Amino acid sequence: MLVRIESSSGVPITRQIADQIRAGCASGSLRPGDRLPSVRELARQITVNQNTVLRVYERLTAEGLLERRHGDGTYVSDDLPGGQLKQQRAALRDDLRRLVERAHVLGYEPDQLHHLLDRTIAESEAQSSAALEKRS
Amino acid sequence: MTTPISLKEVVKQFGDKRVLQGANLEISAGSVVGLLGTNGSGKTTLLKCAVGLLRPQSGESKIFGEDAWNLSAEVKSKLGYVPQVISLYPWMIVRDLIRYTASFYVNWNDELVGRLVSEWAMPEKDRVGNLSVGQLQKLAILTALGHEPQLLILDEPAASLDPLARRQFLQLIIDLAEPGKRTVLFSTHITSDLERVADHVAILKAGKIVHFGLLEDLKEQTHLNLEDAFVEMHGG
Repeated sequence: MLVRIESSSGVPITRQIADQIRAGCASGSLRPGDRLPSVRELARQITVNQNTVLRVYERLTAEGLLERRHGDGTYVSDDLPGGQLKQQRAALRDDLRRLVERAHVLGYEPDQLHHLLDRTIAESEAQSSAALEKRS
Repeated sequence: MTTPISLKEVVKQFGDKRVLQGANLEISAGSVVGLLGTNGSGKTTLLKCAVGLLRPQSGESKIFGEDAWNLSAEVKSKLGYVPQVISLYPWMIVRDLIRYTASFYVNWNDELVGRLVSEWAMPEKDRVGNLSVGQLQKLAILTALGHEPQLLILDEPAASLDPLARRQFLQLIIDLAEPGKRTVLFSTHITSDLERVADHVAILKAGKIVHFGLLEDLKEQTHLNLEDAFVEMHGG
């Protein structure tokens, strides 16, 4: 994990670290179950007080993003807080609505649209199972 | 655990010059506190009163619950202090000075001191009197750390260190200051060092502590970096 600190900025160092861990989780560079460096390791790596790093870990644990396993360190939560998943699902529904509107403009009836979606799902499944067979 | 440092309404004057005018500071165990103040604001006087090298005219200065002026051997063994102006026996060989200092303590971490001597490239066979200001400061820090004090007080510790030694020293302080264990109080002019190493900041102005708190709280309140916040507090 790469964290960069700008000590002469007006943004508190705790927030700088927390934001970068959050961004890592959102972008997928930190995945559920990944182990974070220990408080001491990260403090040393970025030359920042251990209390500061500890406070960040505690805060993100309270938010549900991180999980502190007793005597074993800090991990990215296996089930990331619902918020992020909810956001992504909402974005998908927006995409679908736009597709439906486009289909409507192109003259598709609801029945035809259902049929098209079923066919697309079937094609996508066939493709991924073919890819699996190829690999094995 | 008793409070490592407690200053209450401390007044210290030299002749008719009042340097500390009722300074209050209470530091809890495990925090790393950076003390900021302009030149002549009384940082060194405050640290000396805190450590029991100066006796305040009035007020109270306690270390681990004991009067700083009258510390027991037990509390002294928990205390490490590095003054701004370092005077160590100039005729001694570096290695002997370290050994000599070690002989005063029941617990002395040879391994830690040995590691620092090599990391900091200390010339072990040189005479103390021939060391540069920076090397002398490193030596003073070394000898203040050997007994692994629970409370470490440093007056402008990084001032004479070159950038490499300064980074190594900051990393050492970060390593040493394990949450909830060792307490560190240091004065500095270098706000960027303070921002990294400290979690609390104390600001001394006109003989009083005008601000004490978490560094991040100060930033959240002012949206300024420490240097700008400090300048603003002084009407700059």
